[in-house]
Amino acid sequence: MDTVDITILSLGLTFLLLIVPVIISSIYGLKLIKPLFYSVARMSIQLVLIGVFLKYLFLWNNMFVNLVWLAIMVVVAVFSAIRSSSVKIRKIFLPGLISFSIATFAVVIYLNTVVISLKNIFDARYIIVLGGMLLGNSLRGNIVGISTFYKNLKKDTKPYLYVLSLGASRFEAILPYFRESVQLALRPTLASMATMGIVALPGMMTGVILGGASPEVAIKYQIMIMIAIVVSTMISVVLTILMTLRVCFNRCGVLRKDVFNDQ
Amino acid sequence: MIKFNNIHLSYDGKKVIEDISFEVKQGEKVVLSGKSGSGKSSLFALALGFVEPGEGEVTFEGVRVDENSVWDIRKKIAYIDQDVSVGDGKIQDLFDFISGLKANVHLDCTKGKVRDLLRYFEFNEDIGDKNIEDLSGGERQRLAIVISVLLERNVFFLDEVTSALDKHLKKKVVDYFMKREDWTFLVISHEPLWLEDPSVKVFDLEEGKWIL
Repeated sequence: MDTVDITILSLGLTFLLLIVPVIISSIYGLKLIKPLFYSVARMSIQLVLIGVFLKYLFLWNNMFVNLVWLAIMVVVAVFSAIRSSSVKIRKIFLPGLISFSIATFAVVIYLNTVVISLKNIFDARYIIVLGGMLLGNSLRGNIVGISTFYKNLKKDTKPYLYVLSLGASRFEAILPYFRESVQLALRPTLASMATMGIVALPGMMTGVILGGASPEVAIKYQIMIMIAIVVSTMISVVLTILMTLRVCFNRCGVLRKDVFNDQ
Repeated sequence: MIKFNNIHLSYDGKKVIEDISFEVKQGEKVVLSGKSGSGKSSLFALALGFVEPGEGEVTFEGVRVDENSVWDIRKKIAYIDQDVSVGDGKIQDLFDFISGLKANVHLDCTKGKVRDLLRYFEFNEDIGDKNIEDLSGGERQRLAIVISVLLERNVFFLDEVTSALDKHLKKKVVDYFMKREDWTFLVISHEPLWLEDPSVKVFDLEEGKWIL
């Protein structure tokens, strides 16, 4: 069964739905109209461009081009994750880049080789789409993880130093903050996994079904991608925090003030 | 035992300590005096490696405080900061956390010892179940003192540890520290009780010399 295409005119009709949030925002003075249109415009332009780009990417299906595109996606994801935290980008960009790359490439290559058993493990349809889904979710986790970790340590400067004075090693002193950050980073993914299928039909499954595959195939892909998301999010959050310790703390175990944007 | 040699320290370009030198020998009881902002608390931070001096050096038992030595030096000093930053959560969890640190595995944190100390500093038996956030300022100070004693260290840095206590408890705390001749301590306090013992020395940071 082929997916029913949406004409440009029909797609335009989708935008009519936006009248509802516009009216609600006007009635209650939510001041959401401008941000709403800004986000809708950005989303539409970005997706149109990426649609054209992906069309050619799938057409060429060149391993080198695919890897370069995935690398660009990683760079943008790292940049976005760090920008949302209070830490200076130039301080932790490299550790972030390394950990995101390891987490994304390792999990995608595992899926393509071991799970899906692709002949061409760098096939654009798989490496770009799966990589994108992992990155999008890792990004959310990392924004929470990195921000929580450094925000709490900055807030708790004195209790942290007190723990060092008790004889704690640097790792022992940061461990409570590390645990909390990783738990918070994974919480949304774990929560959405626990309600999946009941509360919502997940994006990938919907896409696969609309793409013409049977629900059985869609479910298998969805289970695979959810496990991959948890694993890659955890790897990237843990690695990013651990790898930034070297640059964000001095050798006496004290958090450097100059790593924060407001310093 | 602890030597501050020609210490200069600035925060954000503002000079806090300017050319301070003095030595505290083992067993000495020292009160640091000087007005607010004269760098008294910063001396503790310097000796514990929390800040680095602009010039000069701190030595502990003849070893310069630096990124290599500071980890061992911290294990020999019991420190209480003026905000009594002992963290949050249940008190018993804090005791468990402290005794669970690698550096403290040798400590005697048995219920009996902890109970005796808590009793001496006039806590109720069930204090372990209380949350640190629910403690009063005075209770936090006494809790920090109990922890500092439990650490079994012989050097103490005490920053305003009796300010929220009543007269009776202040005396109890001062007496507790004074009776241990082998303990070395540096105290930042406006409490005159610390000066009652003739063996106590006073170093004034503004004048940069011993005044008692």
